[in-house]
Amino acid sequence: MDRRNFLKQSSLASSLFFVPSFVKAFEDVASSQLGYKRLVIIQLSGGNDGLNTVIPFRNDLYYSERPSLGIATKDILKINDEVGLHSSLKPLKNLYDQGYLSIINNVGYPNPNRSHFRSMDIWQTASDSNEYAQSGWIGRYLDHYGKQPYSAIEIDESLSLAMKGEHFNAMATQDSKALYNLSKDPYFRHVTKHQNDAHLSEHNLGYLYKTMIAAESSAKYIYEASKTISSTKEYPSNKFGKQLKTTAQFINSNLNTKVFYTSLGGFDTHVNQLATQKRLLNIYAKGIEAFVQDLKANNTFKDTLILTFSEFGRRVKQNASVGTDHGTANNVFIIGENLKKQGLYNRMPNLSNLDDNGDLKFEIDFRTIYATVLNKWLEVNDTKVLNKSFYQLDFI
Amino acid sequence: MLSFITTLKVHYMKPKHIQHLYWRVGFGILPKDIERLSKKSKKKVVNELFKNSKPMTSLEVDTSEIKHMFSAMMTDKKLDAETRRKIQKISRQKQIELNAAWIDRLATTNEILREKMTLFWANHFVCEDNNINYIQQFNNTLRRYALGDFGAFVKAVSREAAMTKYLNTKQNKKQKPNENFARELMELFTLGVGHYTEEDIKESARAFTGYSHNLQGEFVFRKRTHDEGQKTFMGKTGNFDGEAVIDIILEQKQCAKYICTKVYKYFVNDTLNQDHIEAMTAVFYNDYNIETLMHYVFMSDWFYDEENMGIKIKSPIEFLVGLKKVVPVTFKNQKQLLYLQKLLGQTLLDPPNVAGWKGGRSWIDSNTIVLRLKLPSLLTNGAYISKAKNGTNDEQLESKKAMFKKTYGKRFNTQTDWAYFNKQFKTVPFKDMESVLLACPINDGTAHYLKSLEKVSKQEYCIQLMSLPEYQMC
Repeated sequence: MDRRNFLKQSSLASSLFFVPSFVKAFEDVASSQLGYKRLVIIQLSGGNDGLNTVIPFRNDLYYSERPSLGIATKDILKINDEVGLHSSLKPLKNLYDQGYLSIINNVGYPNPNRSHFRSMDIWQTASDSNEYAQSGWIGRYLDHYGKQPYSAIEIDESLSLAMKGEHFNAMATQDSKALYNLSKDPYFRHVTKHQNDAHLSEHNLGYLYKTMIAAESSAKYIYEASKTISSTKEYPSNKFGKQLKTTAQFINSNLNTKVFYTSLGGFDTHVNQLATQKRLLNIYAKGIEAFVQDLKANNTFKDTLILTFSEFGRRVKQNASVGTDHGTANNVFIIGENLKKQGLYNRMPNLSNLDDNGDLKFEIDFRTIYATVLNKWLEVNDTKVLNKSFYQLDFI
Repeated sequence: MLSFITTLKVHYMKPKHIQHLYWRVGFGILPKDIERLSKKSKKKVVNELFKNSKPMTSLEVDTSEIKHMFSAMMTDKKLDAETRRKIQKISRQKQIELNAAWIDRLATTNEILREKMTLFWANHFVCEDNNINYIQQFNNTLRRYALGDFGAFVKAVSREAAMTKYLNTKQNKKQKPNENFARELMELFTLGVGHYTEEDIKESARAFTGYSHNLQGEFVFRKRTHDEGQKTFMGKTGNFDGEAVIDIILEQKQCAKYICTKVYKYFVNDTLNQDHIEAMTAVFYNDYNIETLMHYVFMSDWFYDEENMGIKIKSPIEFLVGLKKVVPVTFKNQKQLLYLQKLLGQTLLDPPNVAGWKGGRSWIDSNTIVLRLKLPSLLTNGAYISKAKNGTNDEQLESKKAMFKKTYGKRFNTQTDWAYFNKQFKTVPFKDMESVLLACPINDGTAHYLKSLEKVSKQEYCIQLMSLPEYQMC
């Protein structure tokens, strides 16, 4: 669909908000009945130490490289004879036991970059490490397959690059009421109501009017569709728990949103890593636990896939401050009810074959995961979105 | 006699054109300046802009504390972890100060053109660094060369501490070349994608080996790690160093064309006119003098073509600074100003990556458009936009503003100088305010709606105009 056609359709769609609500009700039914699949992305910012998250507790190298940072066998939640999870990840272990978790090891990309900004940028734009893109992978998904700004929502106040396309952007909201209130000044309604230019999108001013009209109706739609659904589940009272609660509220109110984006920061553990990571993984796991329960109670877990990543892992050898420095390859978590390959997707990292910096060598390009999710879960043409063809994995 | 006056008048610059020029080279213009300049010819108006930007005033925040820490460390070169953390902490705070100082500078400077060019170059030679001294020095290098010799500019940028860190020239050694800078030099800074080969990148990376800096941020050439061998770059062979590589790049007409295209996009129109770009390229390729190029653009008749006026979407900074110029608003908490830039999608000194901000329509998404329309009232008018109908008084005005102040006063801790606005607009009749504040005509339907509203005061009318999509245009 070209841009003009797309805009025509979206303006048509936005005008639907002014017609009787049964039309909308029909849309909602349609989306819930057809197994409307949703993707939830969780970004762990700062570079989570994957080796202390999924731990090779039988590997001597692990303990010799991390004399005061290696986690003692007794504190590990074992998932098999060699591998265990960090003690904060009890809820994740439960998901693992039920077959809802797939752990993909050694995920990275060629010529890794160890700067937070740059590496996050690479993960968000899905570019090569020597290439600089100005659009994100979810943004480009919207360019081709998005219908409305709320087709993808970032649970935040502003958009990450991941959510910005070449021509089309997602929407950010962490408080649907606040956004709605901001947009609903009657002055704006009068201004947009009076717009009379038939060729709105063809010049920049028209584009502004059009975006404002879509924003007004989207903010109203999100607020009104989700205001009656409130979660009965207890979520941890932190920002991340709140983000997931909002996400569940949106999902359970059958919002026509395909992708949700959330993040949890603070993983840059150069100093005294143990306590910090323990606290953060606890926030992560407790949040996920409540989230999955909430979705299950509303029968939406089966149509939701949760992808967790971090911009890089950390160096195998601990540093002098009982912390770790920026590394490369890391593990990615896939959570969902219908996983084809549950548990450990591939082998654990090889600690005796490191690169010149003493970092893990990647085995799986993160974009093969994106390609798989796009193709098999969101059921779109991944090559169009990633601008390149990638090998598909079989975790879903 | 009468015909004599008319002919004379033809040489005066039209107010509309003055406004257009000032939106593109600056952040809008106040009524008194329009009036003053409309008694001058285009040549005089343009020349005045260049004359005012002859001086270069560095932008600096006080970083003596860090500088002292550095000089104390001079003897042993490595900083200990604690000092490093302390420096980082101060650095972060100072970056916020520098950000606020930069925005303040944009709104108040007399060197408008130089500052607008600096902003342009900051999104061309994109760089960031967490060391305040390095990034401040880099920022002032942009300012210094903003209207100067492009070749010298590229060379200066390649030697900046912040840049050698940002694009890893520092790690680029004879034994182990790092191609990052060489690649971006050609892809983003000079030629554009497709105008060089992978081999050119490899060879030029060798030429930039040995580039580094000392703690103070001065350029250091490490001879030991520099590759003295023969390099073949763009068909030429020799023992090239970085400067020689830049000289060879400048010989390519594509370099002039690439820069002119970017200048055209930024200062003239997102939609390119190849004829105009060709003409600019011919001027620029001559001697790569940026001032000459810009002078040519602003003197060209086509710069003032109807199709080029009021059709660009303001960047968040243009929007914010433009607003500040009309209604001076200061943030009591600099972090709020920073936060606002983040919400609007453009935080100075914090670019998304070396490709910079995409600009144009990409500034606008559902969140930013809503925020932009609401922001003028939110920051300066108690979030209030008057909707009083013709012939009625706006009775809720005071109470609504008071209520907002009570509820959200803390969140938007700003100080607004409406007295300044009223003074500036004292002689401007209501009917002229639209053309002074907006760069493009108002959409018919919107104009119709505005006509149905009472003009309660100039302040309220100003807010109404600033709360329109039309105010987003320049």
